[in-house]
Amino acid sequence: MSALLQANDLRRHYRVRSGEGFFAPKSVLRAVDGVSLRLERGRTLGLVGESGCGKSTTGKLVLGLVPPTSGTVRYRGQPLPPVGTSAWRGLRRHIQMVYQDPLGALDRRLPIGTQIEEPLSIHEQVSPVERRDRARAAMESVGLQPHQYERYPHELSGGQRQRVVLARALMTSPGLLVCDEPISALDVSIQAQVVNLLLDLQERLGIAYLFISHDLKVVRQVSHDVAVMYLGRIVEQGEAESLFATPAHPYTRALVAAIPTVNFGGGRQRERFLLQGDPPNPVNVPSGCAFHTRCPFATAQCRAETPTLQPLPGGRMVACHRVHEPALGVAA
Amino acid sequence: MALVERAPALTVRRRGPALPLGVVLASAWLALMVVTALGADVLTPYSITALDLKARLAPPALMGGTWAHPLGTDELGRDVLSRLIMSIRMSLLIALFGTLIAATLGTGLGFLAAHFRKAVEQVVLMAIDFQASMPFMIIALAVLAFLGNSLPLFIALMGFHSWERYARISRGLTLAANEQGYAAAIRQLGASPARIYGLHILPNIASTLIVSMTLTFPEIILLESGLSFLGLGVQPPLASLGNMVGYGREYITHAPWIMLAPAAAIVLTTLSISLLGDWLRDRLDPTLR
Amino acid sequence: MLSFAISRLLRAGLTILFVMTFAFVVLRLSGDPALLIMSVDAPPEAIAAFRESWGLNQPIWDQYLAYIGHALTGDFGKSMRDGRPAIALVMERVPATLAITLPALALKIGLGIPAGIYAALHRNSMADRLTMAASVAGFTMPSFVLALLLVLVFAVQLGWLPASGSNGLSSAILPVLTLGTGGAAIMARFTRSAMLEVLGQPYIRAASAKGVTWRTVVTHHALPNAAIPTVTIVGFMVGSLVAGAVVVESVFSWPGIGRLLVSAVANRDLAVVQCILMVIAAWMVMANLAVDLAYGWLDPRVRGTAAAH
Repeated sequence: MSALLQANDLRRHYRVRSGEGFFAPKSVLRAVDGVSLRLERGRTLGLVGESGCGKSTTGKLVLGLVPPTSGTVRYRGQPLPPVGTSAWRGLRRHIQMVYQDPLGALDRRLPIGTQIEEPLSIHEQVSPVERRDRARAAMESVGLQPHQYERYPHELSGGQRQRVVLARALMTSPGLLVCDEPISALDVSIQAQVVNLLLDLQERLGIAYLFISHDLKVVRQVSHDVAVMYLGRIVEQGEAESLFATPAHPYTRALVAAIPTVNFGGGRQRERFLLQGDPPNPVNVPSGCAFHTRCPFATAQCRAETPTLQPLPGGRMVACHRVHEPALGVAA
Repeated sequence: MALVERAPALTVRRRGPALPLGVVLASAWLALMVVTALGADVLTPYSITALDLKARLAPPALMGGTWAHPLGTDELGRDVLSRLIMSIRMSLLIALFGTLIAATLGTGLGFLAAHFRKAVEQVVLMAIDFQASMPFMIIALAVLAFLGNSLPLFIALMGFHSWERYARISRGLTLAANEQGYAAAIRQLGASPARIYGLHILPNIASTLIVSMTLTFPEIILLESGLSFLGLGVQPPLASLGNMVGYGREYITHAPWIMLAPAAAIVLTTLSISLLGDWLRDRLDPTLR
Repeated sequence: MLSFAISRLLRAGLTILFVMTFAFVVLRLSGDPALLIMSVDAPPEAIAAFRESWGLNQPIWDQYLAYIGHALTGDFGKSMRDGRPAIALVMERVPATLAITLPALALKIGLGIPAGIYAALHRNSMADRLTMAASVAGFTMPSFVLALLLVLVFAVQLGWLPASGSNGLSSAILPVLTLGTGGAAIMARFTRSAMLEVLGQPYIRAASAKGVTWRTVVTHHALPNAAIPTVTIVGFMVGSLVAGAVVVESVFSWPGIGRLLVSAVANRDLAVVQCILMVIAAWMVMANLAVDLAYGWLDPRVRGTAAAH
């Protein structure tokens, strides 16, 4: 049986000019460099990593907003049509997106009701009355009041705007929702509400989420599976709870160690493992394992050979030469 | 002339309901001009070619003349007021069409550049650079020399004035909207380009475009009247404010009113639009907020 | 800095090529260039010779190359009016144009920049309001109206100066005043807004907060930074000197390029029109180039991005 979403060996390279002028040398930025993903119906895949690691680009590739340099994306077994074609536009009703900045994603000059109806105006021939009824139903399902139909985006709070974006995305009953940092622009008090709404909608409607975030706590809360990206590659992938409980890759361990927790004493002392410095420039990725410049366990092999994703017992996938070393054992 | 856009507003920036006096006067003058242009056929006391040989070079009523010719007559005895009214209509029409052509052309090219990127965008950008690097007056003179003059051609030519301003604005704002904003979101909903540009981007940038039109409109009046003044714009028997001034210049020593009346109309009209434009820019233009 | 200069030079060359191409295309649009450029009563042999010389019997691409070749050597054909080479006709008018435009430029800079700085430093004073009112007039009053008003006052009413012609210094005064005062008002407005923008920057407040005297703040921090946008507008004015002279030279019957252009357009003397088009384009391009290079010199950031790699 084919997965809802299947991405194979996606690569997206950009030619960039390092500097200005006609004679600036061009180099290649490998934003995404060999990423494979699989997502089943009604499940959530969390995609985490520092900013600039290529997780947003992966999201755009999955949406078909940018064409991959190489690799394929299949939705329900069918490859994505080229961007801008009418087949591509037709597929939009099945794959929708939720944005980091809901105000930016909404047209400031139109009342939100009109904007929530827009997917229907685009994809379905329905009467204005039915459009309106369905928009109100969608508003209700995301927790908006019917009287807010005539409001403008700037009259709503951040959380309400994100609900508008969600309602709009839900109008055509999509099978997959790509959420790119959907809550990081919201107040902390609102974040939990939106997360709960997402979980609730998934339970009711069976939507699959590709949940892109740098916030590991939230990813842990919403995801069934998690993929960790570093400089365009997936370095670790697996079932969410076990990955957060026993991270295997040194980079994942560092990220998990950095999750703020409240420790009331008595509990297991968490390992202290902080990341040194910033990620390297993605135009100039280090040789071998890209993480070796910041990894305390790096060896000569790490500097020379690029590790590939290898399965561990229990279905976990890790790209690290030293993952089997006793000193770094999973059960550390 | 792109630099002109950034000049600060002259009027004191007020947001209250009270209109600045300058804006009220400017609006009143422009309303008068629009009524004059629309009602020109009814308002003219005489035909613009009617000769009154007994009252040649009659001075205006306030300079010792009679109310038969409130603004005096020229050396053929033609009524200056009547000619002024027809000239106002002609100059405003040319400026209106010119502005609309420039706005449409520029906005369209800006959309094309932002939509297709790559080669199309490079061509548009080169054309913008070229347009901005040559004084348009000179280009207009060259085109008039090469192609000859006729009213439709002249209006079309005025429509090429400052199109690059609209192309810059629409390209820049479209790119911004595509990059992270609402346009990308609507595209991702599956909307066709016609829907994205017509229903979303155009309404969003309309206020900026309208403010730019208040810059283009007086510029075209000045350009048209300059060319007509030189005898290279609107050709007789049609009259525009510029060629009225050009004609009146011959009589500057003993009948300066022939030239002063249209000159005042030009200055007051361009001044009024500029004042109104500054005020509108403060209130409308979201990019300045 | 070098690659910055080279890329600007390439752009300049490209603009010139664009203008030539523009003239070529528009001329072809208008019909047979041989018949347009030669006078109607030119002998058939002369027309045939012209066609041969400009490659008009060749394919359009060869015509284009021949045209560019001719243009680059300054050969635009002969004037219809007196049969002299267009380039000679144009070049002999250059001094007269410079004789009024350069003093006008000096007036714009010498009057406009100090007025703008003064207005900015004394914001909302009477002088500031006057400057701003004058600049609005400078924007909205066409030069021919200003010219005629000056004629009306100084030549007709007062009789101090000649209304037109080119007899010595006195007849140059009104053209220079017309060109200079409008430009000075615009110049003042830009200088003022550049100064105000700089004076509002945090580093200015920081400098005054440190206890540096206001005079030092202005001379050491505000003026050098305000100079950068001001250079742009000066460059723009230098570039449009000749273009601005078209109307004014015609009003005052001043024998410069501008008046030549107007009469050439009126008589459809296309060789002369093309030649003037190229001269003005070359002048504009050089002015822009000078501004770009001055920018690089004044603003380390421009240099910096170019030299960063």
